[in-house]
Amino acid sequence: MSEQVHNRLAVVRAERKVSRQALAEAVGVHYQTIGYIERGQYNPSLDLALKLAGFFGLPVEALFSLEPFQPLTDEVYGRKER
Amino acid sequence: MTATRYDRRMYVVMNDRRAAAAYATVPRRRLLVGAHIALTLTGVGAWIGTVFGTGFGLLVVVAAVLLPWMVLTGMLNGSTRGLLELRGRMLDERQLIERDRVRALAHRITLWLLLAGAFGLGAYGVLTDAPLRTAVTPVLVGVLVVHWMMPLWVAGLRVQDDPADDLGDES
Repeated sequence: MSEQVHNRLAVVRAERKVSRQALAEAVGVHYQTIGYIERGQYNPSLDLALKLAGFFGLPVEALFSLEPFQPLTDEVYGRKER
Repeated sequence: MTATRYDRRMYVVMNDRRAAAAYATVPRRRLLVGAHIALTLTGVGAWIGTVFGTGFGLLVVVAAVLLPWMVLTGMLNGSTRGLLELRGRMLDERQLIERDRVRALAHRITLWLLLAGAFGLGAYGVLTDAPLRTAVTPVLVGVLVVHWMMPLWVAGLRVQDDPADDLGDES
């Protein structure tokens, strides 16, 4: 049984304004595969995860995690208690 | 292994999106698979009737279903992006895993159909006291076609919808 791997590929891709097609071509997969990864329907191999991280110039743990990600704004600015 | 010109040509054909609207959603793909199954069974039934029957009248039915069957087969292959038609070197890691899953599932379904066919044939022989020799070949041909087509039907039913992309991807 495979473990659920969380990712924030969609957030980073949108922030960098990269289309699925462009990202897919850069890492050598079908563009649908990017969508499957973003929706959590497919966990990429280590090889593909490293290629994706390398494309964005980020460490692989910035994109993939076994724990759910906090929103990026919370990580950057911290969450203020109301 | 590097892709050949044939591989690249087939990749383009299988990823041609001109008919994408016809199989863009789950209900449409289910309808396509259902229609394809109906045409396959009709065509094979008519062919068996022609070959093992007495006349050639059913050949008209075979000829009539052939063209729409080919069109639907192409559409189903398009919906899977050539999962079963492209060579392994043209598929990415997810597609290769999906192809293995589709084949495994189709194999399991076909196994149960074969079992049902064997029992059905046996029961037919016992209940009607008819000679089984005449029924074996048509049943085998029917099962062979189902075995051949099952991966395509399974693959067509397992395809997920493409989400709309805000950055101008094809979808």
